[in-house]
Amino acid sequence: MKSIYFYKSALALAVLGLASCKPSIDTITPSKGTADFTRYIALGNSLTAGFSDGGLYLEGQQNSFPEMIAAQMKAVGGGSFATPFFPADKANGTGYLKLTALTNGVPTIGKETMNLAIRGQVGAVTLYTKYTGEMNNYGVPGIKLIHARFPKYADFNGLYERLLPGEYGTNPTTYLDFATAKPWTFFSNWLGNNDILGYAAAGATGEAPTDKALFTNEYNAVINKLTSTGAKGVVGTIPNVTVTAYFRTVTLKTLLAAVNATPAGASVKDIYIQPGIGPARPATADDLFTLPLSSDGVIGKGQIPYGLHPLNPVESKYVLDKAEVVVVNDYINTYNNTIKSVANAKGLAVMDAYTVLNEYGAGKHVNGIPVSGAFIQGNLFSLDGIHLTPLGYAITANAFIAAINAKYGSSIPIVDVTKYRGVKFP
Amino acid sequence: MRKILLSFLLAVPVLGFSQSFQVNLQGHKQTAMGGAGAGLALDEAAVFFNPGAVSFLKKNGVQAGVNGIWLKTAFNETGSSITEYNKTKVPTPAAAYAVLGSPENRLRFGIGVYTPFGGAMHWKEDWTGKFTVTSLDLHAIYIQPTLSLKITDEIGIGGGLVYALGKVDLKRAVPYTSNGVQTTAQLKGDSKDFGWNAGIFIKTISGVSVGVTHRSQVTAKVENGDAIFSNAPSSVQPLLPTTFNATLPLPATSTLGFGFYPSEKTTIALDVNWVWWHAYKDLTFYYNNGTSTPSARNYHDAATFRVGIQNETTSFLTLRAGAAYALSPVGKGYVTPEVPDANRILLSAGIGLKPSERLGVDFSFLYENLKSRTETNIESGLSGTFKTVAYIPGVALSYKF
Repeated sequence: MKSIYFYKSALALAVLGLASCKPSIDTITPSKGTADFTRYIALGNSLTAGFSDGGLYLEGQQNSFPEMIAAQMKAVGGGSFATPFFPADKANGTGYLKLTALTNGVPTIGKETMNLAIRGQVGAVTLYTKYTGEMNNYGVPGIKLIHARFPKYADFNGLYERLLPGEYGTNPTTYLDFATAKPWTFFSNWLGNNDILGYAAAGATGEAPTDKALFTNEYNAVINKLTSTGAKGVVGTIPNVTVTAYFRTVTLKTLLAAVNATPAGASVKDIYIQPGIGPARPATADDLFTLPLSSDGVIGKGQIPYGLHPLNPVESKYVLDKAEVVVVNDYINTYNNTIKSVANAKGLAVMDAYTVLNEYGAGKHVNGIPVSGAFIQGNLFSLDGIHLTPLGYAITANAFIAAINAKYGSSIPIVDVTKYRGVKFP
Repeated sequence: MRKILLSFLLAVPVLGFSQSFQVNLQGHKQTAMGGAGAGLALDEAAVFFNPGAVSFLKKNGVQAGVNGIWLKTAFNETGSSITEYNKTKVPTPAAAYAVLGSPENRLRFGIGVYTPFGGAMHWKEDWTGKFTVTSLDLHAIYIQPTLSLKITDEIGIGGGLVYALGKVDLKRAVPYTSNGVQTTAQLKGDSKDFGWNAGIFIKTISGVSVGVTHRSQVTAKVENGDAIFSNAPSSVQPLLPTTFNATLPLPATSTLGFGFYPSEKTTIALDVNWVWWHAYKDLTFYYNNGTSTPSARNYHDAATFRVGIQNETTSFLTLRAGAAYALSPVGKGYVTPEVPDANRILLSAGIGLKPSERLGVDFSFLYENLKSRTETNIESGLSGTFKTVAYIPGVALSYKF
């Protein structure tokens, strides 16, 4: 009898011990610090809209960085947040690039053309299904800083036009007025990339970069407006476009390797390019080629093989030559100095996207996920080589959160980056 | 039969319980005494604790015991408001010993089957660290036939050959999805390797007993383990391996133990373990597609200090208690979620019952509390705070003859 009693009490003790609670960790106490996140508005371009894979489509919009940080802001008093989503039956928006095959590491990229949200075409401007409803994410793909106060900008950009009431050509509201029509308590402003991107992406042909003094002037005007009611905010610097997959995938080495692999091109030693200034010359490792040079499949074509002879060099639109790289970097650095000094003068938080994307582009593990600037395999850049994947946007969102928390003493919890995908494989 | 055996083995994996993936649950009397016992000739578990003391056991006997490990780990990613917990899996490592031969003879025989290394860590499939690990089941079962020789009435030596059966099963998410379903990888394999365990036991004139033991390193080699990928996109599948090789050193342990006998009924044990963890430099998987994934571990040697007491309160009841402090072999930047190791405090208690002269029942209860540790892993970049506690009850039956 006695022994049974002992066994029973020992068992009871053991069970009691096991019922003890789980270990606890002191986590951050949610605090808004000196900021007020009641109504957050996001101004910016494609990077704010959630543009990815060469298009704006519902999945990208849902994974935009403002959507992510607004969700996290809810823990510290953030209000509801609306993005002008494409409707579910037109979820593919503008259409986007898809990886359809990967054979021996060589990608085949196709285009999604079903369920688009296109409602018409006026000249060069494609019109999209109108959005009516609440809005907090004012990201408009293609917009430059200098467009923010430009009347009738909607007549030139269908992705802005879709947000405005009224038919095409009838609404002259400027972007800045539209985004600030309702009171706001917090803002993010990540404008400025397109003031240099268009120039760089077309190999320094076509549209010129925004004049530096004009950039400063416009940046001050936009920030003055955004801070005019006492709202706090965060601004983003301009990433270094010359280190994106768009410029680092097609290289002199890969071009030569591809040519050398063909019977006729086995002895080829040089790729000839047309630089911005001067005669055609052999390319060096310091000249950057654009992604479309590969997808357009022009190399070696023609009577005089394209790119393999000084008389038929790779066109300037495919090449950001060494001198042009210097020009692009000079503009980006100047713009970024403006952004940082204006933000500092106004006491705003700065998300240094230039540094952050350089760091991740160089290669880094994020919660066990290898991330780098490599095309397709790098998880950071989407299939257009410039815009980010949902994972890339999540990394950006955490950089914004870190900048906001550091500046305002708030404790917005970070985003779990592992919930977001890189490039979709077939 | 094979199936039953297999299912038994699968139930065995345990989380490392003394340091990293080392397990110290080899005898229930000793577990209740803070895990000390190298300087004692306490019972059949001396086959493990000190083969030199086996020849000093007063009686022959067999014993078998089992533990249940309730391991609770919490993780908070740096900057996140979310605390994640591991899943409750209760591994049940077992140990069994037999000591044979005539107690009057100087030479005695023993055999032990025990689990000195293991790990069982299961996280949720979609947790923050899923790309580093979602689950690890690891164990090494040592089978050790032993000879022990009492050289004089004061000095005994003993040694045993260790046949180590290892098993590893590692799962993690891979950063691909197929139709929205996460791709996962599973690496599993087993190993069969040899080692040894030896010890000296001395009864000094002052009445203090001393034990010195060394268990050798066993280098567990997994050859042609299975690399199984689930839900991989079809374009990626041709690039994936199907088998792997890997080597995991199960480090050597040296122990110095003392036994004090303040009264006829009271025994105090004091042990210091030195675990030669520096052998664990990296964990590299070599795959049959020509790739490998080297992962630095760079463990350093680490000590554990143990003290325990037992009191034979009545002829029926023995009470035991103990404490220990284990230093972590895992350096800054190398903490991984499969073994979120840290310095730890161990507190233990137990009771021994003797329903008859021959039959014994021993209960042990061990509580472990690992210091909270905030780290950024240098390889995965996973940054956050780990906190672990464990509750480990156990019971053993013994029969003396």
